[in-house]
Amino acid sequence: MEKPIEEQKVKEELRELIAEIAELEPEEVTDDAIFTDDLGVDSMMALEIVAKIEKKHKVVIPEEKIPEITSLQKVFDMLKALSGK
Amino acid sequence: MEKQWNIEKIQQVLPQRYPFLFVDRVIDIDRENSQITCIKNVSINDYFFEGHFPGNPVMPGALIIEAMAQSGILLYSALKPEQSKKNPDYLLGTVDVKFKNPVKAGDCLLIRTKKIKLTETAGIVESRAEVNDRLAAKGTLSFGVVFFKED
Repeated sequence: MEKPIEEQKVKEELRELIAEIAELEPEEVTDDAIFTDDLGVDSMMALEIVAKIEKKHKVVIPEEKIPEITSLQKVFDMLKALSGK
Repeated sequence: MEKQWNIEKIQQVLPQRYPFLFVDRVIDIDRENSQITCIKNVSINDYFFEGHFPGNPVMPGALIIEAMAQSGILLYSALKPEQSKKNPDYLLGTVDVKFKNPVKAGDCLLIRTKKIKLTETAGIVESRAEVNDRLAAKGTLSFGVVFFKED
């Protein structure tokens, strides 16, 4: 069953986490902003984002999948798929 | 696959040299668990003791972090040998290390470094530095790996 309120909460938490690592304001991290081109996220920051998400949500994001997560929406979609929700 | 590296092999991997090379030997490479164990023999002849501190030879914490970072590069090289052969630049990103006990002249510093996350262009590792099973420092480091385009 869909849980839109819960999903929104997770997305906002992800937005804050990404903003903190990228040293941006959360509102700058829009759903479709491209990490590298729009937000200045480098490979090290990307890895930090992945490591923090893994710890918080107790999932494992395979290293070969990291290049695929290029925006908040893509992070969210991957997390959703990995959590099986 | 080799499980130990001597100083000659270390110098093929690490770009650092005297007075900034802080790993003397790799005593175990555990590729299955993505972990490396290195040693740095701390000698009264180490140049930094001249000033840190006169009459009280304590290894600077910043240099313990550097030894941890160098073990991280060695781990990267063990796990990504093909990338390492391209002689990239390794740039330290974030450091979150706590110091527990001082390291002094005569100590053999054992540094165990384990992968948290590693790609071809960046890594996050967890590192523990010990002397005789006594924790000297532990923490997390992240680094970037930068390749320059060939002409």
